[in-house]
Amino acid sequence: MIFKFPNPRRERTLGKATGKRRYDLPLNRNDSARFLVTLIGLMTFLAVLAISAYFALGAMSERWTSGLEDKMTIEIPAQTAAGLLLRPDEMAPITQAAANVLQNHPSVKSHHVMTAEEIHELVKPWLGESNLSADQMPLPGLISLELKPDTPRDTVRQLGEQIASAAPGARLDTHETWLKDVLRFTGALQFAATLLLVVIGITTVIAVAGAVRARLAVHRSDVELLHLMGAADRYISSQFQRHSLMLGLTGGAAGTVAGAIALLIIGWVSGEMDVNLLPSYQVSGTQIIVTLILPLVIAGLATLTAQRTVMRELLGMP
Amino acid sequence: MIRFEHVGLRYGIGPEVLSDVNFTLAPGSFHFLTGPSGAGKTSLMSLMYLGRLPTRGLVTMFGQNVNKAKREEMVLLRQRIGVVFQDFRLLNHMSTFDNVALPLRIAGKPEKEIQNNVRELLEWVGLGEHMNVLPNTMSGGQQQRIAIARAVITRPRLLLADEPTGNLDDAIGERLLGLFEQLNRMGTTLVIATHNQLLMDKFPHPRLILSKGHLTVEESKFNLRKKLEGIF
Repeated sequence: MIFKFPNPRRERTLGKATGKRRYDLPLNRNDSARFLVTLIGLMTFLAVLAISAYFALGAMSERWTSGLEDKMTIEIPAQTAAGLLLRPDEMAPITQAAANVLQNHPSVKSHHVMTAEEIHELVKPWLGESNLSADQMPLPGLISLELKPDTPRDTVRQLGEQIASAAPGARLDTHETWLKDVLRFTGALQFAATLLLVVIGITTVIAVAGAVRARLAVHRSDVELLHLMGAADRYISSQFQRHSLMLGLTGGAAGTVAGAIALLIIGWVSGEMDVNLLPSYQVSGTQIIVTLILPLVIAGLATLTAQRTVMRELLGMP
Repeated sequence: MIRFEHVGLRYGIGPEVLSDVNFTLAPGSFHFLTGPSGAGKTSLMSLMYLGRLPTRGLVTMFGQNVNKAKREEMVLLRQRIGVVFQDFRLLNHMSTFDNVALPLRIAGKPEKEIQNNVRELLEWVGLGEHMNVLPNTMSGGQQQRIAIARAVITRPRLLLADEPTGNLDDAIGERLLGLFEQLNRMGTTLVIATHNQLLMDKFPHPRLILSKGHLTVEESKFNLRKKLEGIF
């Protein structure tokens, strides 16, 4: 028998089913889907910022470390252990003795004995434009030096001992204490960023599970009908998985785009502020890849959550 | 095919709604299930379409003890059963066509087969011109025909129908009973829950009579007459 399509005008009045059949359950027709997309979008936005902070802190640590780990300073105090102030002509032989040790040491790549003018330049910002001159103050002697790469820590310690022996009162400053503090601080911030990512993940899981449970409650009768028709748990769960995947991808993509725009604005603002204290930071390829993968990870998380939630609920049916 | 042995069912801690139910349905048999309202017909039907498990006793479906069946085995058992619910339970966001096609899609049948079979059946039940219409805009009788078409589309081995002719006029009701008989002749086992005495008298099949949760099996008058004729 040839099938005749009904009159379209009549069908409209009767209530024609529009669009292609996509779901056995009308999951795509509810307002809570919009709420979930917004929530996932916001979570992704925060995740983009957290990931960016993580990578920026990592890059800063890297630059600080690589910039300072081979560079050291020898300080010759202007005051002796007995409390006597040294004149410049008294300090010169001590400084020279320390420089001689460096001159002959195989692990020292280069060194530079700072002149009085250079030391005055260093302290100038602290004295400002006052009448107080650096010439009127006792200033230490300074020698900057750079070690050859991968110099063992023992060699550095021995060098410090040699300098202390050749130039009494001289002290080798490896910047280790300061660097350790900075690295510990950036490490703590990186940990906080990681923690934030975990919280974002947990929040997304809770939100998706809640939304799926609510959808299950609304469509319980329809879900039960599919179950009675012989639909396997996987078949029913796939409906929710597909729905959650789409919501996750939409929210994730929107959040990533918003996050990228926010990063551009932050970059522009920090550039305008001309922040010189922090080392310059370039977005790495790894960060771009991780950020681009983020919506997929969020969507995957939403899908997995939906599957687990539905499967658990279906176990309540015989 | 279907065997209930000392089956009892209770909801929560309430009294038993079905008590010590015993019967056997042979493959290809046709039974009416009848009894007063509240006798437990719907509860018995829910046990037969595996919507519930008994609280006591043994239910064997297609040779398998349902109490011991694995979850995936229950899925296969349910796919052999067609159900016409009293309240139809149609999915109102789906067209008539998609409602009827649903059991085939669940069973993973190819789309071409689905298209052909569903169109043919909808033409047969007189809904050929309503394939793309949403069920909730149709009359009770039309919705009932969709529910029946959905239940028989997979040619189930067991068809359970709860008051399937309740909203139909006599002519269509008899035509659908004719479809059920046709399915029965092709090997489908049928259980039809009904209050319609005229219908039961017209189609001489044995009756499962439920009263206050207890079940008795009554041979049809037609069969009894034939047996008596054989004796005398």
